[in-house]
Parts: sequence; C-alpha cells; structure tokens
Amino acid sequence: MRIALRRAHGGVRALEIAAWFAALGIVTAAMLEVRSRLNEAHVTLAYLLVVQGASARGGRPLGMLLAAVAFLCFDWFFLPPYGTFALSDPMNWLVLLAFLATSLVSAQLLYRARAEAEVARKHVAELDLLAGVAAESRALQESHRAKDAVLASVSHDLRTPLTTIKALAHEMSEAGDERAVIVEQEADRLNRFVADMLDLSRISSGMIPDLQPNEADDLLGAAAQRVSGRLGDRELQIRLDPAEPILLGRFDFAQTLRVLVNLLENAAKYSPSHGTIELAAFRDGPNLCLTVSDRGPGIPASERELVFEPFYRRSTGPPDVGGAGLGLSIARGLAELQGGSLSYEVRDGGGSVFTIRLKAVSIGELSDGSD
Amino acid sequence: MASELILVVDDEPQIRRVVRNSLADEASRVIEAANGASAIDLAAAERPTLIILDLGLPDMAGIDVCREIRQWSTATIIVLSARHSDGEKVALLDAGADDYMTKPFNPAELRARVRAQLRRVRLSEVVGPTEILDLDDLSIDLAKPSLKKAGVAIHLTKTEWAVLRALVRHAGRTMTHQQLFHDVWGNTYGDMHSLLRVHIRSLRRKIEGDPVRPRLIVTEPGVGYRFEHEL
Repeated sequence: MRIALRRAHGGVRALEIAAWFAALGIVTAAMLEVRSRLNEAHVTLAYLLVVQGASARGGRPLGMLLAAVAFLCFDWFFLPPYGTFALSDPMNWLVLLAFLATSLVSAQLLYRARAEAEVARKHVAELDLLAGVAAESRALQESHRAKDAVLASVSHDLRTPLTTIKALAHEMSEAGDERAVIVEQEADRLNRFVADMLDLSRISSGMIPDLQPNEADDLLGAAAQRVSGRLGDRELQIRLDPAEPILLGRFDFAQTLRVLVNLLENAAKYSPSHGTIELAAFRDGPNLCLTVSDRGPGIPASERELVFEPFYRRSTGPPDVGGAGLGLSIARGLAELQGGSLSYEVRDGGGSVFTIRLKAVSIGELSDGSD
Repeated sequence: MASELILVVDDEPQIRRVVRNSLADEASRVIEAANGASAIDLAAAERPTLIILDLGLPDMAGIDVCREIRQWSTATIIVLSARHSDGEKVALLDAGADDYMTKPFNPAELRARVRAQLRRVRLSEVVGPTEILDLDDLSIDLAKPSLKKAGVAIHLTKTEWAVLRALVRHAGRTMTHQQLFHDVWGNTYGDMHSLLRVHIRSLRRKIEGDPVRPRLIVTEPGVGYRFEHEL
C-alpha cells in the first residue's frame, strides 16, 4: 500500500516542482513591488522560507535546485546594480554566499531528518511484518504440537493392547503353546504397521529433521549393529572409500539410520540365502552417497518407480514377505525430508542398488575442537 | 537368591500383570502402582531396588515421576514408553532413568535388561567401582591409568581417558551426549556433538578391533554412547 502511494507521488512530482518554482516566482514578484523598502535580510528570509519549504516537502535535490535559482534571483533582482549579476558592493557577495550556504545546509539537514524518519517508519513496518510472521509460526507450531499430541495418543492407544497381547502370547509360547508363537509374530507385525503409519503421517505433516554434520562410518557401523542377527545367513560387507579418510555429511543421523536399516532388511528379504549384502559410502561431488546392494532378482523396469509408492508390493519375491508395502516410501520420504534423495539402479552383474544421496560436508567446513 | 523389591508403575492392570509375571523370577517381591502419585509414595516408603515406570500415566507426566524419584532415590529406573522417539529417550535418560524400552516389549528382553541392571547394582555394592577391566585382548586400568591391547601399551590423551573412564564407569548404560560431555568437560557449553565425535572416533581407532563395527563403544543413534560390556 505504501509502495502504491509512493508511485502516485512520483506521478505528481513534476507538478510539485512546478508549484515550488511558481512559489519562488510569486515571492520574487511580491518583493519586487516593494523592493525600495526591503534590505538584504528581508530577501534572504523570504527566499530561505521557500527553499526550506521545498526541501522539507520535495526533498534535497529540489531544495538545492531552488536554492541555486533563488541565489541567482537574489543577485539579479535585489542586489544593485539591478538586472545584472555584477555586484556594486563586494560585501553583498558575503550576503549571497551566506544565503546559499544556509539554504544548502538546511536542505541537507531536512533531508537527513526525513531519511531518519523514513528509516524509523520502515522499522515499524518491518516490526509489524515480523510480528505477523511470529504469530503465523506460533500458529504453525501450535498445529504441529496438536498433531504430535494426536499421534502420541494414537500410538499409545494402539500399542497398549498390543503390549498385553504380545506379552501374554510370549508367556503362553514359553509354556509350550506353538499357536501363541504365531500370535506374537502377528502382534509384532501389527506393531510395525502402526509404526509405519505414524511415520508416514509424520513425514506428510512435515517433520523437521535434525541436520547435523555426521560421519558416514559411524552411521554404517550403527546400521550394521542394528541389523545384526536379522539378516539370517546373509553376510553384510561394509565398504568405505579408502581415498577419503573421513566421510562427512549433513544429515539426521537417526532418520538416515532408519532408512539404511529398512534398505538392509529389504535387501535381506530379497537376497538369496548365503548371499552377500554390500553397504557402502562414498563421496560424489557435493553428495555423500550411501548404497545398499544385493544380488537378489532386481526390480523389473516397469516397477522401478512404483516400489517407492505407499502400499505397493513387488510382484516378484517371496510371498511370505509380510509388510504393508510402506517401507520404501517411508525411506524415500525420510531421505527427501533431509533434502536428499533415494533412488534405485540395476546392479552390474544382477541385483539391486539403492542409493541415498545426502549433502556432503568437507572437514574444512567444520570447526571441530580437539586437544 | 533374589532379594530385590521391584516396583511396577502402569495404569493398565493387564500390563502390570504381564510385567509382574515376567519378573517373578528376578525379584523377591513385586509391588504395583497405578499412577504417578502413588508410585512416588511407594518408592519412598518401600525403597525398591528397581522401578519399571510407564510414561503414559493418568495423573502426571512419567518424566516428572522419574525426576522426582531420582532426587532422593538411587533405585534403578527402567522406563516403558509407547512413543518410540529419540528426543524422549534423551530427555528421560537426562532426567535420571537408567534404561528405556519401547512398547510393545519382548518379555524375555525386559527380563534380560532387569537382570543386567540388578547385577550392576549388586556388583557395585560388593566390590565398589571396577578399576581394572580385561576384555578379550584389551586390558584397561582406570586407576593407573593404563591401557594395553594384546599386551602392547597404548597411549591415550587426557581427554580420551576422561571419555573412556566416563563410559566404563557407566558400562552397560547409555550416556546421553549431554551427560558424557558434562562428565568429561565439566560444563555443557560448546559444540558437544562434534567434540564428542572427534574423541570417540580416536578412541575407537585405538581400542576397537574394527572401528567401523565397534563392539565396545556403541553409538546409540540420536541419544549418545554406551560402553557395551557385561560386568
């Protein structure tokens, strides 16, 4: 709104300038009428009034221009000999220069006052804006908090009965009831599903990742530890780029770990028995790449993007793979939430490679303290 | 052999029942509380060795119960939570909880954790803080201090010793970044994550067989580090 006003103001600028020159003309004409009764002080004061008025209203350039014109008029009309720029009394030079100096200084002072007022006004406008943004982000935080509260209560309400079911089934299976083993497994499956649904809703509601500089080998080690005992007879190989002594990236450690664990479990599901799963990290330009490779059947070309869709299940693979088909879509969501990506490629020699790309960090970019 | 008293705090009677059943062999007596206020009263009156504390209590936040009890009690506190969030885990460990399990839990695992915690308590009562550790080819003498790997002395910097000492003294228990940082540097200023990372990294290089797959100093993602060793 203020901008619109200023533009309109610019449109009438020529008119304003003309008006101030007209004012100067009128003052000059009026004083000419009574020239015989005026001395230099009267003329100086009258002209100063006009120049300062113009400076105050029209700004420094107008004030200075008017001061220069008034200076010439002063000399021409009011300092003898009249009608020339010559001066009979050299002392009048002092009067003229004093007038000019006063005009210019006052134009400058008024300009500065205006500029300061303008800055103050801008600050007020900025503060208004900031207050608005703060109110908005407070509202956003409130809504996030409300969502978190709902998710917390849903997870509590779903997991409490699951806890009882699982624990009782466990007790019964310890007492030798084989059917109870199945009940416990199904309870676990339901729990995974609850966790997936909660993750999916957290991702879609814009969970904020905790981006920190982290080391790739720390992450790979944690992933290996987390899946140990869950890969059956498959071997996990970790490969780190020997050329890069310390591989760093800026990512959310816990969330990226979940993506890796998910991909490793996936690789185990689709890998042949006694197969090798490879977990690797390397730097690729601005990216830190983490890859999980298997020697499974791979994914047919028609399904390579579909597997990242929620609830999609691969047409190939063992039929007993129990899951809601959410794992890869959550993995991709978690990668993208951190400004990264997750993609699939066919592996040379057969199998799949899943690649997580995250932002790499150079050691020089870190201000690590050490002793 | 079991002479310990365990307090189970949960508002769901079914869960109290399964926890009590799972722990029947570990404790001489199991007592129960259904809300935070009576949990605090019972903890004060009966002085249990170990407390299983559910976080979703009707009358007060579980973390406040934990903090309150920790002010005057050294009882081991194992928290049960349905929330599965690293942030919550950190807050609870910082509030004085010793361990954290997510619901639904595996009763066998709960039993194992309780057993490990009780063993820790018993050992510290009998022999006091352990100063010399022999783990496979590694020998750590915290009192001297000296460190030998396969008989060869290894030099640690002062800070590395401080980190190792803190971790070993809390062996089997996850130390949050903040707890570890405070223990080593005595304050909580500075970029604790990167400082810790640097020293943990160099420590692992010196004591782990394969630093990429650490067996002794384990990373607890988003929470902290743990010295993985059965006392």
